[in-house]
Amino acid sequence: MTATIAPETVRPAPRSRRGASRFPLRRRLAPYVFVLPFVAVFGAFSVYPMLFTLRLSFTNWRGAGSAEWVGLDNYTYLLGNPGFWSSMANSGVLWLLIVPVQIAVALVVAVLLDNAKTRLRGFYRTAFIVPFVTPLVAIAQIWVVLFDQNYGAINGALNLVGLPDIGWLTTSEWAKPTLALLFLWKTTGFIVIILLSGLQAIDGSVYEAAALDGASRTRQLWSVTVPLIRRTMMFAVILQTLAVFQMFAEPYVVTQGGPYSSTTTAGYYLYNHITRGDLGTGAANSFLLVIFVMVLSLAFVRLLRAKD
Amino acid sequence: MTTTSNPVRTPTPNRVRRPLPAVGSQLFLLLLTLGFLAPVAWAILSAFKPAIDIIRYPLAFDPTTFNLDNFTEMFSDIPIGLGFLNTGIVLVVKGAITLFFAPLAAYAFAKYDFPGKNLLFGAVLVTLMLPTIVLIIPLLLEMKELGWVNTYQALILPGSVDAFAIFWMRQVIAAVPDELLDAARVDGCGEFGIFWRIVVPVIRPGLAGLAVLTVMNIYNDFVWPVVIASSERMATLQVMLSTLAATISGNKIGADYATVTGELLAAASVALIPLLVIFIAFQRHFINGILAGSVKG
Repeated sequence: MTATIAPETVRPAPRSRRGASRFPLRRRLAPYVFVLPFVAVFGAFSVYPMLFTLRLSFTNWRGAGSAEWVGLDNYTYLLGNPGFWSSMANSGVLWLLIVPVQIAVALVVAVLLDNAKTRLRGFYRTAFIVPFVTPLVAIAQIWVVLFDQNYGAINGALNLVGLPDIGWLTTSEWAKPTLALLFLWKTTGFIVIILLSGLQAIDGSVYEAAALDGASRTRQLWSVTVPLIRRTMMFAVILQTLAVFQMFAEPYVVTQGGPYSSTTTAGYYLYNHITRGDLGTGAANSFLLVIFVMVLSLAFVRLLRAKD
Repeated sequence: MTTTSNPVRTPTPNRVRRPLPAVGSQLFLLLLTLGFLAPVAWAILSAFKPAIDIIRYPLAFDPTTFNLDNFTEMFSDIPIGLGFLNTGIVLVVKGAITLFFAPLAAYAFAKYDFPGKNLLFGAVLVTLMLPTIVLIIPLLLEMKELGWVNTYQALILPGSVDAFAIFWMRQVIAAVPDELLDAARVDGCGEFGIFWRIVVPVIRPGLAGLAVLTVMNIYNDFVWPVVIASSERMATLQVMLSTLAATISGNKIGADYATVTGELLAAASVALIPLLVIFIAFQRHFINGILAGSVKG
């Protein structure tokens, strides 16, 4: 298969000066040398473990002793297990709480920051990305303190305006929104920057044309901006879908998957197999998660293609 | 809102439309910014309050009562200096490996044609989609085989030539004109020399962005370190912070809770501040780097 980039089409002169019809050996070997360190690390710490996981998923190995081949048993066990499905459902609910809100807010913010008339653009850009650079563990700890039912600042503020305490982290109906809020707080700034990169590639004259046609600002956003940065938006959606279904550190630090397993995400459920030493089932769960996320990503890409 | 145009100023040439809800959008941005900065500001300010006041009056700040008690308690209770040292060692070595070898591989992907290139680059893209957690079990077993559990090499090597870094740098390097590389070749520059003396200086802004992102990722990394470096001697800063949570949920009664909360906020602040300083100092590179490297709509 030939690559799309043909480096020598523009200037054939240097090649002829070298007096060889093909590139010299050094030039043909160079790329292999350059990718070698990557291939070594990648092979040893990604490909090998991945193949190992695949094999493990067909055994009942518990970390010691001999491994027995059990075929698809781990997979069928998981697919018939309510715990597995409720972990996927928890992640699904978190996805619904996070991704649509995040894309909408990030789009509005990005459009405002792209407008040269908005004041303090540099300040806002920095401020929005601050949460993204803060260590997740540190901020998750802060979340635990802020949202504490009895002593937290959030309930303190609610009491000030006469509202009752909310069990943010202690009731199963509020734990998911509280985690979603943490995730939104942490990553929305990054999505703003990604959307901003799409907006900056848009030629300003299309807006002038739309304005001449009498399109209102909201109309312009919907009919001009969104279609033009559809690909960037889809990139952001896929990125966040992967992140939400893999979410692990947030429930690990903030809720330990509780209360009543309400924040046991797909990623956290997977971790539970590891702590129980049930490595075969854990491996099978990993692959089910990967397959699910890949199918979802491909579905998004299809959706995008269908609109083109 | 009525628009009052300044008669002295000439109108800007490509004026689009009146910024209609200028006040509304400015207010929206301001409120959102406050919400984004408030948790961090609250935590850092609260860390200076007497521990009991943090839980008794979480929303009140009286500068006259500010002191360093939470910090001194925290420093005597947890070996946070060791955490910083471990994180620092991993940061320097792993960061150097990533920042050198990822652009080098990206250069090969962007500017050479070689058999197997598409297959390899496809592998890079697949790696981007894999949850880290999928690799945790076999990697842990591999580290046990190698005798690397609770060692620096286990913290450093896996993930050191990051797939995202290669993906990003390939896009940045693809934008370097081929003429520039050919000209260097004519001047007798070797293949590595072209990378080192031509490509690296040209992509410096992108590299700076990658550097900030890499430092951030390594400093904040948690899932792998908590699995592989659980001993007290090897714990990174983030691992130490996470065990502090276990302490807090174990002691949820009265004053004890206040003390732990005070120490926890002090530790979180100490962990936050270095990264915030680095980020604010280099944020232009970081943001511009992402802006230059992302997919275009």
